Amino acid sequence: MKRVGPFVLERRLAPSRGAVLGISLLAVVLALLVAAVIFWGYGVNPWHAYRVIFQGTLASPQGWAEVVRRAIPLILCGVGLVVAFRAQFWNIGAEGQILAGAVAATGVALFSGLPDPWLLPAMFLAGFLAGAVWGMIPALLKVKLRVNDVISTLMLNYVMMYIVEWLVHGPWKGPTARGFAYSDLFPRAARLPLIPGTRVHWITLVVGVAMAIACAFLLSRTKLGYETRVVGQSQDAARYAGIDFLKVTLWVMLISGGLAGLAGAGEMAGVHYRLRSPAHISMGYGYTAIIVAWLARGSPLAAVVTALLFGLIFAAGDVIKVALAMPFQVTDVFNGLILFFLIGSELLMYWHIRWAPKRAASEG
Amino acid sequence: MGWEEWLISTIARALAYGTPLLWGTLGEVYAERSGVVNLGVEGMMAIGAFSAFAVAQSTGNPGLGILVAAVAGGGAALIHAFLTVTLRANQYVSGLALTMFGLGLSGLLGRGWEGVPLKHPLPAITVPYLADIPILGPMLFQNQSIITYLGLVLAVVLWVLLYRTRWGITLRSVGESPATADALGVNVYLVRYLAVILGGVLAGVAGGYLSVEYRPSWTEGMTGGMGWIVIALTIFVAWDPVQAIGGAVLFGALYHLSYRLQPWVAPELLKLMPYAAAIIVLAFVGLGGAQRRRGAPGALGVPYARGEK
Amino acid sequence: MRRSLKIAAIVAAVAGLCTLGLAAETVKVGFIYVGPIGDYGWSHAHNVAREICEQNFPWLETVYVESVPEGEVETYIDQLVRQGCNIVFTTSFGFMDGTYAAALRYPKVILAHCSGFMRAPNLATYMADFYQVYYLNGLMAGALTKTGKVAYVGAFPIPEVKRHLNAFAIGVREVNPNAEVHVRWIYEWFNPAAAKEATEALVAEGCDVFAFTEDSPTVVQVAAERGFPSFAHYSPMYDFAPDYVVSGQLVHWEAIYLDFLQKVHDGVYTNENLEHVDYWWLLSQKAVEVGAKPGMMINPVFEDDLKAYIVDHPVFGEISAYDLVMVRYNQMADPGVTFDPFQGPIYDRRGVLRVPEGMWMSVDSLITMEWAVEGVVGPWPGEP
Repeated sequence: MKRVGPFVLERRLAPSRGAVLGISLLAVVLALLVAAVIFWGYGVNPWHAYRVIFQGTLASPQGWAEVVRRAIPLILCGVGLVVAFRAQFWNIGAEGQILAGAVAATGVALFSGLPDPWLLPAMFLAGFLAGAVWGMIPALLKVKLRVNDVISTLMLNYVMMYIVEWLVHGPWKGPTARGFAYSDLFPRAARLPLIPGTRVHWITLVVGVAMAIACAFLLSRTKLGYETRVVGQSQDAARYAGIDFLKVTLWVMLISGGLAGLAGAGEMAGVHYRLRSPAHISMGYGYTAIIVAWLARGSPLAAVVTALLFGLIFAAGDVIKVALAMPFQVTDVFNGLILFFLIGSELLMYWHIRWAPKRAASEG
Repeated sequence: MGWEEWLISTIARALAYGTPLLWGTLGEVYAERSGVVNLGVEGMMAIGAFSAFAVAQSTGNPGLGILVAAVAGGGAALIHAFLTVTLRANQYVSGLALTMFGLGLSGLLGRGWEGVPLKHPLPAITVPYLADIPILGPMLFQNQSIITYLGLVLAVVLWVLLYRTRWGITLRSVGESPATADALGVNVYLVRYLAVILGGVLAGVAGGYLSVEYRPSWTEGMTGGMGWIVIALTIFVAWDPVQAIGGAVLFGALYHLSYRLQPWVAPELLKLMPYAAAIIVLAFVGLGGAQRRRGAPGALGVPYARGEK
Repeated sequence: MRRSLKIAAIVAAVAGLCTLGLAAETVKVGFIYVGPIGDYGWSHAHNVAREICEQNFPWLETVYVESVPEGEVETYIDQLVRQGCNIVFTTSFGFMDGTYAAALRYPKVILAHCSGFMRAPNLATYMADFYQVYYLNGLMAGALTKTGKVAYVGAFPIPEVKRHLNAFAIGVREVNPNAEVHVRWIYEWFNPAAAKEATEALVAEGCDVFAFTEDSPTVVQVAAERGFPSFAHYSPMYDFAPDYVVSGQLVHWEAIYLDFLQKVHDGVYTNENLEHVDYWWLLSQKAVEVGAKPGMMINPVFEDDLKAYIVDHPVFGEISAYDLVMVRYNQMADPGVTFDPFQGPIYDRRGVLRVPEGMWMSVDSLITMEWAVEGVVGPWPGEP
């Protein structure tokens, strides 16, 4: 307990849901205030700016559609990363796992020759498996050869990037792309239906939310979930409890990589319809998902919400670029600011501030 | 062309390309030795690159540009230090935020500085006498940057500091077990602040090198992912400043060779070679039964709160 | 007198307003770029052109969006249309699918897609191509190399870059039949560090003249550090190495944009007749220029060297490289073009006859070119 003037600060072990929400909101508001200074410095009236952003995102159905669409890959990757982080596995590699899923989905869409109705399910399945394999390599390396997970997942991102580059310039270069580095367009049956009037490929969204629910159940109600949590708290404890570290790590990365792979398959079947330069497919979603997962504080369901928050930030960035004609880097600066305030405020959540002038405090 | 020419050009280029990697890695090694991961290297380098260019261009003094880059990098790192040490925020997320912020801010401020050459870049130097030695001369002492040599010296100095002085013991103890260090009277917060800021200073110099020496001009995003390589190298060299020289040069050599070898090996495969090599080497180290924790600081990534636990 | 002029102007203006429905309102044009406008290459050049258009046409209002990922182009077209744009230019091949889809969804909006091949009644295509310019640069490079090895740092092994490289190599070999063009690929449109190390690799291989495709002046700077001449790409890079930049390729996208916008304004182009509007503009339309900065075709520093280099030419007999450049330039820059670099017979480096004697290539075969001409040394992904 600490006393600051007439206030009493009490530490608590776990922040209440209200405190988390309230303080997070406060942090975002503070970040927006600082961002207002940047708007102002750039010669844009901040009030006008925020009004335009609001109108372009939350005030219209199309705006909402864009928020949701940008959130779809973030939901899948974010949920997967929550699971990995629960086991203290630092998967920085969702970016590469997305691409692995995209590659597998493309392979199925263009070359499998499956009957039409099977195409989309097979693409998702292949995407999941490819992402899972790409995620389980660092898991094996970590457990068997003690290769640091941050380094291996990060490096594998680059490796997968160049594999995609090789595919689109080499064996998968489409005859109809006139020599440009693209695969052919997917057949109609390999494309996801969109919500009319929007670009939301809702099936991937449903898959994402379903996965969030499944993972929440897995973490809280199953033996594997229990083992994951133990491994995450202490490897020594896990060893004493007789938990198979290899098995748990592999399972965790199967899920984490697999979900990122699903995201990749969804982006291919819902947005791109052809394999293209890797940076234009993964678009940094894998890195943003790290933040999405962290903000979710270990809860897969909360990751859906934080993914939507980032979908909103991305959509707002689009609006800023177009409607306010500001340089694209503004989005990065805003993202950075909002994060600084969000993570900086975390400590506050663990303190309960109480108005207690001297006289009353002596009782407690 | 004989093998000498291959050796000479490969090592010479490895040093030049490895210089920003070396500076960045040295900084990250120190930060992580104190227990703080900073994934914001890319952002700090970008800020360094821009500020170095802006100052060098307006004053005509590239040396001053590098100095300002160091300060700017340190300033950026201060944000990370405050968030992760004082406010005990998650280090990974704070670092990612710093990368976004740094890339964004440098790009934003850098508008209007693009597309002009630096009038007075840092001159390349050729060391008298040494440059005339056969093979070694052109390999190490011709057309290199002063920052390259400073980096090599700095690596050795930082190694001595880390392993042979009281300061080094203090730093390592803070990274291994902050509670113990605290009990022994070490100011854990201060040590971590200093280490993180040093990391930013060195990353700033690395960025400055890019914009006033390696390619004397400014373009947004010119760090091109080097900051991420630094993160990997830090782990790769087992948090050891002298090994950092080897890591940076090895990576530089692979990068250069990925262009040199193109007539014989598919370019796409060569491009992924440096990244794959990093994993493979570490796997072999693991295969060799090196089961000791290769220097990873015990409390890496864990915020320290005095009086808890 | 002055008053009557003014009145005449007003009358004319009013008449104009009445006859042209479009002219009554300002035309609002959106530009969508794939890169940052500060890349000093492709997107930068389009943005310079946009500014020139805005200065030229008082009735024109423009907006732009930079760094748009390929898959996101539809979203941005939506936003621009919602803001009231009646014309949208999308300036990257990767925007093709999205632009085409948007064209179907917005039949009232006029769209134009750069470097693609899908058109619609309200979707035109356009491209300003450099291959003739690269050929002229090649003539100079072939005359300037002492080692007989000329370097080319390429961005991606796609037809556009291959076409430029081939034209460049044809130029080099026309004045220096034994010279080679050594190639390195960096697999990025913009990456200074990669461009630098690729250049250094070519230096180590013995190359002494440099050309490239990458959106930064890196190759020019590195070559100059080593004392080697180079050719600028895309933007004016003369200032980066005044003593070493020989010439280069400059683009004037405004030539196309001004023409297109004027025709839309005049009612020549509408949202119903663009199905066959495909700009493929070269030297003769002044969409591209030879030089490292506007108005300077050859850096005076190199004039003497080029004049001293005498070629025994099959067509022109004994001729200096300098004069050859001028002759060829005039042949291609005159409205009635009388020469093309890809004039048969042309064999690829595997010995296959690609262009028969006396023939020129069609635009279609130019933009799908995958083979490498004789004299190109180095990797060539996708070589048929």
